[in-house]
Amino acid sequence: MLVKKAVGFTPALADSRWVKGLLIATALAFLLLFLVLPLVAVFVEALRRGTDAYWAALVEPDAVAAIKLTLIVAAIAVPMNLLFGVAASWCIAKFDFRGKDVLITLIDLPFSVSPVISGLIYVLLFGLHGLMGPFLKSQGIQIIFAVPGLVLATVFVTFPFVARELIPLMQEQGNEEEEAALVLGASGWQTFWRVTLPNIKWGLLYGVLLCNARAMGEFGAVSVVSGHIRGETNTMPLHVEILYNEYNLVAAFAVASVLAMLALVTLVVKSVLEWRFGAELAATRH
Amino acid sequence: MAIQVSGITKQFGTFCALDSVDLEVRSGELLALLGPSGSGKTTLLRIMAGLEFADSGSLLLNGEEALSLTPRERQVGFVFQHYALFRHMSVFDNVAFGMKVRPRGQRPTSTEIKRRVMELLELVQLAHFADRYPAQLSGGQRQRVALARALAIEPKVLLLDEPFGALDAKVRKELRRWLRKLHEDIHITSVFVTHDQEEALELADRVVVMSQGRIEQVGSPAEVYDRPASAFVYEFLGQVNRFDCVVADGVARTANGALSIPADGTVRGPAIAYVRPHDLGLSPSAAGPGRVSGIHVVGPDARIEIDLAGLPLEAEMDRERLSALGLRPGDLCAVHIDRARVFPQP
Repeated sequence: MLVKKAVGFTPALADSRWVKGLLIATALAFLLLFLVLPLVAVFVEALRRGTDAYWAALVEPDAVAAIKLTLIVAAIAVPMNLLFGVAASWCIAKFDFRGKDVLITLIDLPFSVSPVISGLIYVLLFGLHGLMGPFLKSQGIQIIFAVPGLVLATVFVTFPFVARELIPLMQEQGNEEEEAALVLGASGWQTFWRVTLPNIKWGLLYGVLLCNARAMGEFGAVSVVSGHIRGETNTMPLHVEILYNEYNLVAAFAVASVLAMLALVTLVVKSVLEWRFGAELAATRH
Repeated sequence: MAIQVSGITKQFGTFCALDSVDLEVRSGELLALLGPSGSGKTTLLRIMAGLEFADSGSLLLNGEEALSLTPRERQVGFVFQHYALFRHMSVFDNVAFGMKVRPRGQRPTSTEIKRRVMELLELVQLAHFADRYPAQLSGGQRQRVALARALAIEPKVLLLDEPFGALDAKVRKELRRWLRKLHEDIHITSVFVTHDQEEALELADRVVVMSQGRIEQVGSPAEVYDRPASAFVYEFLGQVNRFDCVVADGVARTANGALSIPADGTVRGPAIAYVRPHDLGLSPSAAGPGRVSGIHVVGPDARIEIDLAGLPLEAEMDRERLSALGLRPGDLCAVHIDRARVFPQP
């Protein structure tokens, strides 16, 4: 009786084949419609007039300048947020202090504020008619409509990525290993390099990859502070917009395809690292 | 190395974790800090290690003031309840860590480190696990790695925070014996924290019983068990029957008059009397006044629940003795008290 029952047993959570198929099909259709199709469209549009036109759009001086600028901005903003993110999550996860909740909320602020507004803040602060504008002008320092402004806006927008990734991880890992290292005679610096950092390296890597993807793709905040000076203060997303508005579709999609490829490379790097160090990753999460 | 704790006080917000604690740890002894959770035992241990700061008081390590020293300067070995092994390092690297982080001048050569680590892994019987990661070891093995790692810095004192707390009963017992033997071999001054009275009594040379940030009693296991200094110690160490009573003319009587217990002359008025279950004698008696309300057999022992005119009692004896008495649930019996302690009502 019992055996018979076990054989004919259908778990309550196992849906029928029909439902399963429908769910999978819906998910796939969604992915296809909203992710794969646009991505393919970018490349199709970019290559519409052949590879020569595609290539010409990329080596054109303004495009090269935009690519360079994007890389420079990311190369400054990402390390800054890496340092800040590690420092902030270290102090939030490992210490108790007054105002900790306020700090956590502040870190999340860039997620909740519209990027356009964060750009405007910098214009109001450092612009010609802004709070510090006259002083900066007298010193010959230009922030708005120049690279420093782009970096500031990007740093602001990508502020939370590293910290958000690390705080829960570090909180979960607790203080005991650090305490053990200290009792064993390690200095604070040695403890950080030999114990804390190896334990968070994967979370840190994810945070940096996400931060980098956003830094290169940021549009709103950067658009406000850039001034759209061709060949000087246009990053790739801004350059794409200008080309698109000029009905130069091939060039616009060609530059967009480079951005898309940067994102794809980021994803591939992440997957390769996960695959390569999966066992170690599981061990540190233990 | 001896440890001298005097007047150590520690406050967490409004909670007083340690209230002016004085304690002397003798060189080479194995001392247990025993108490319920919240009694301050772990805080005291962490202050000794330098992982927690005392609000006031002094701590002498080998006669030198140590409260201002950092953990690394104190050279203590610390074993954490949850092992705190470095999860990204192999067993070998865990044990070698303390030697590798020394300043260049004091650091042993790598062959010397290797020799030391393997020697320690031999000692904790884990030499063939040197290449494993902590996640690949059982709880008992991890705790032995933690011990080897603590010993690797040649500490003057070994501090253990609930070292067996996270292990299952059988492993705990084995590891306890093993630690006792290890201590007999290397004779390092050791302090361990536990809330398990059996563990403290079996393992330690001396037991410190703590409650609410104060030390209730310090003594050998036999002393604290046989002559508890306070009602708390009596209740905390082992099973106990507790009665509210009134003492007059050297006799403590319960309110319903069912029980009278001889009390020493120092106590008068409202008091609490304690009798251990195995100090309670039973004999069959048709006149009562007790009645057997239940019998539980636990391994070789039997626990007998008695209803003494509405007063619940528990007696304990071995099963042979019980079967010789022939008592069964529902039988009437007489109750004798072989030994009891009476403390004044707090």
